[in-house]
Amino acid sequence: MKSPDAIVIGAGIAGASCALALTNAGLTVLVLDRGPVAGGTTGAGEGNILVSDKDPGPELTLALRSRDLWFDMQSDVGDHFELEAKGGIVVARHDEKPLKDFAAKQRAAGVDVQEVGDRELHELEPFLTPEITSGVFYPQDSQCQPMLAAAHVLRAVRLRGGQVITGATVKAIDTSGGRVQGVQSDKGNFSSPIIINATGTWAGDIATMAGSHLPIAPRKGFILVTAPAPKLIHHKVYDSDYVANVASSDADLQTSTVVEGTRAGTILIGASRERIGFDGRMNVDILRRLAAQATSLFPILRDIQLLRAYRGFRPYAPDHLPVIGEDSLIQGLWHSAGHEGAGIGLAPGSAHLITAQIIGKTPFMDPAPFSPKRFQAGAA
Amino acid sequence: MISFTFNNQKIEAIEGMTIAAAIFSTGEKVLRQTRFGGDDRSIFCGIGICWDCVVTVDGVINQRACLIQVSDGMVVTS
Amino acid sequence: MIAIIGAGPAGLSAAAAATRRGEEVIIIDSSSQLGGQYWRHLPSARNDSHSLHYDFSKAQKLFDELLSQPLLTRYSNSQVWQAEKCGDQFHLYILRNGVEEKVVADKVILATGAYDRTIPFPGWTFPGVMTPGAAQAMLKGHGVLVGKKVVIAGTGPFILPVATGLAESGAEIVGLFEFNNPFRWIFNLHGLLLNPSRIAEAFYYLKKLQKHRVKIEFGKKVESATRSSAVVDGTEIECDVIAVGWGFAPDVTLAGILGAQLGVDSDGTVIVKVDRRQETNILGLFAAGEATGIGGSTLSMIEGRIAGGGRGGLSRWRAQVFANGLKKVYPVPSILTKNLPEETIICRCEEVTRGQICTSIDELGAQSARTAKLFTRAGMGLCQGRVCGRNVSEIVADHLVQKVSDSERIAGGQRPLAAPISLGELGDGLAKKF
Ligand SMILES: Cc1cc2nc3c(=O)[nH]c(=O)nc-3n(C[C@H](O)[C@H](O)[C@H](O)COP(=O)(O)OP(=O)(O)OC[C@H]3O[C@@H](n4cnc5c(N)ncnc54)[C@H](O)[C@@H]3O)c2cc1C
Ligand SMILES: Cc1cc2nc3c(=O)[nH]c(=O)nc-3n(C[C@H](O)[C@H](O)[C@H](O)COP(=O)(O)OP(=O)(O)OC[C@H]3O[C@@H](n4cnc5c(N)ncnc54)[C@H](O)[C@@H]3O)c2cc1C
Repeated sequence: MKSPDAIVIGAGIAGASCALALTNAGLTVLVLDRGPVAGGTTGAGEGNILVSDKDPGPELTLALRSRDLWFDMQSDVGDHFELEAKGGIVVARHDEKPLKDFAAKQRAAGVDVQEVGDRELHELEPFLTPEITSGVFYPQDSQCQPMLAAAHVLRAVRLRGGQVITGATVKAIDTSGGRVQGVQSDKGNFSSPIIINATGTWAGDIATMAGSHLPIAPRKGFILVTAPAPKLIHHKVYDSDYVANVASSDADLQTSTVVEGTRAGTILIGASRERIGFDGRMNVDILRRLAAQATSLFPILRDIQLLRAYRGFRPYAPDHLPVIGEDSLIQGLWHSAGHEGAGIGLAPGSAHLITAQIIGKTPFMDPAPFSPKRFQAGAA
Repeated sequence: MISFTFNNQKIEAIEGMTIAAAIFSTGEKVLRQTRFGGDDRSIFCGIGICWDCVVTVDGVINQRACLIQVSDGMVVTS
Repeated sequence: MIAIIGAGPAGLSAAAAATRRGEEVIIIDSSSQLGGQYWRHLPSARNDSHSLHYDFSKAQKLFDELLSQPLLTRYSNSQVWQAEKCGDQFHLYILRNGVEEKVVADKVILATGAYDRTIPFPGWTFPGVMTPGAAQAMLKGHGVLVGKKVVIAGTGPFILPVATGLAESGAEIVGLFEFNNPFRWIFNLHGLLLNPSRIAEAFYYLKKLQKHRVKIEFGKKVESATRSSAVVDGTEIECDVIAVGWGFAPDVTLAGILGAQLGVDSDGTVIVKVDRRQETNILGLFAAGEATGIGGSTLSMIEGRIAGGGRGGLSRWRAQVFANGLKKVYPVPSILTKNLPEETIICRCEEVTRGQICTSIDELGAQSARTAKLFTRAGMGLCQGRVCGRNVSEIVADHLVQKVSDSERIAGGQRPLAAPISLGELGDGLAKKF
């Protein structure tokens, strides 16, 4: 292969989306991953594409656009990844006011928000506990199967002339005069003026290899998977505590429930969050809490069996915003990482922000809030 | 002898028999149909490992017919 | 206190050895009876002549001793679904008659046994196609004949007792096919010399089979099945049951959950690694029986006795030589997973075909069984890959012209839960303050 216009490191959803956007913009792209396609966090997450859990601000703007870009991506590469606008329902168990206030703010920011009363709520979710009598419905909330999405997007990249090399660990980034020149991997060295760091939780390592730095850390999460069941849950249903958790910086374990069905018939119950580094051990107590919360929302789930549980490490930045944009210390090094618990949802939007800047077009929003600069200021 | 129903059919069984043993003793083998292909399935490993024989027992889905013992009046469906 | 998981030959022998030494023991088994797979028998209310067993007296002696042993607590209908090591102690979470309990032990002996290893072929999902173990369990445990006209095939010494039991109980054995050539016994002559009683055992079965005019045909296998026949060597044989097994696969799930080191045996199965005392790398965690490598009930009993603190002498070595020899006599050829038609179902739970698995490699970039699984759902169903896991690995490796690595095999033995638990029961554990 002659030198590609851009090298994308990471074949997760962030890397795949970038590779497709760049390919569609006319660049030749090489994707490298040390593992297989979707072997990182993308293979350990759920496929929620949510607008309902985001405070008005840059992340919500990105999420709204990214959600639409998911459907564009589906028209572009085909209906292969179970993309579905199934809608989300947020309920409040104790105090409804914060939930309703939050919804009002979101409506003002352009989110489609529908408050639903007792009857409507139970029409939408017949098995929801009768104890809950009102909620907020978010028709835009969607879902996909992220592993299949990354794989099919990268398949399209290959068919359009790009190259994907799996099992290739990047060991060093060549730079000269503050610009990237290429990468060294255990499957060969490749030169390119543009390198996209889409290595998720490991993005800090790549930044360091290039002589820069990025404070991305892992945040462990568990997901419970049940045995296949008939369709009992029609939307993504979650407790409003979840929204509070997402925005929290508390390192202790927090749990809150998101319950949803999948096309395969299994029910997914997420998502716990704790920040204890890469400790992969199973914690029975967390499983219990997630189960208790899910069955209190949907008592019918009491008889459904837990089949397995898996954990993954969400990549997060200290301010809980993703890092999207060119490195402020090393030219030609771009980051799309640190998307935490929203990396699936935000991937195509992030790819478009980066691609627009690379090819010199005006992006759909001001990318400044996501710039890596915010962590690299005093370091130069 | 005790009796239970399987897909509305009354079946007599000896106490201590599993659902699968009781159904097999009538000569019937088909226990359920698959989710996607609708294909007939029966017991396969016979010891609770493969989950091919799952039936609904008194309203609870995904119960292994090869492990669960029948009880009088039990309602079993595919 | 010592907790023993599994009440088969290994677990029972361990319990006897430990209680004889004055230790307090709890033995936990998912079945309602003692005996495991080998000593499965009719419920006590039914009169069992034990004519289906080669030698039940050993079992009866153990049962009698243990049932009157005051140091022994017995948990039947109890499945350990999860386990943790906390400090020096083990916490076992048990579904006992469907209700969760916690047991704390200082020492744990895993005697979780094995299950039939199976390999797909066209038609293997039809009702009536099953493992020899299934046919055996129905007969020994319930006195139920799985069919009238039965084909038995696969490989290994186990198909002989199954054929014998079915024939003695009135089934017509319309075909008995051993894939491996009997001359391969040349690889285990030393094993036979060290364990001459095994020759008598084999002749016992062969004589009974002869009485029923059942002939073993060697070098043949079931190529495909229809709803009412098996195709062997191009010939269709009418039957209502086809029992095919390719040896056994150890159940190592709990060992994996507790972090014990797993290894790959000479037959490619994943086993729990143990030292001379049957102890794993986790202090206080022991394993015995089929879970440490397929070796049959005699070896299981010896290993159990040692794990329970008893003596083994040279007996374990003798039985191990025989077991290792058996793996050479009855290898499972890798050809079986090659050349399967595209539409053959590989993952029975999620109904995933060989074609879908190969497409995930060719078009989506799957490079291992793990990614093929993520893309196709093969191995993600109710059995959690216990049946298809190894076959998926072989098919993926074959398609990529590679060999399955040991680390992939071991990863295939790792599962987060040893048994499913209902969400209601799981959540209720919070209130019970486990
Ligand atoms: C339990 C859980 C639930 C989640 N649920 C959701 C959800 O519902 N919705 C949502 O939007 N998000 C969710 N997330 C978050 C989401 O999964 C992640 O944000 C997203 O997958 C990150 O994608 P990525 O492509 O950035 O990273 P990854 O998928 O981790 O990809 C990074 C890739 O980089 C490769 N790599 C790393 N270092 C190197 C190197 N040196 N050389 C070569 N390759 C390298 C890795 O092998 C990996 O494949 C969840 C996460 C978890 C853990
Ligand atoms: C279906 C079947 C039938 C067999 N029949 C014969 C036969 O007729 N003749 C013969 O020579 N060999 C037979 N075998 C071979 C058999 O594996 C060994 O000969 C012998 O039974 C092994 O003894 P063991 O103690 O290691 O395991 P097993 O006898 O398999 O005992 C293991 C026990 O552990 C229990 N267990 C496993 N996991 C858990 C858990 N998480 N919680 C609670 N309990 C658990 C199981 O229910 C089982 O009772 C059979 C094997 C199978 C699979």
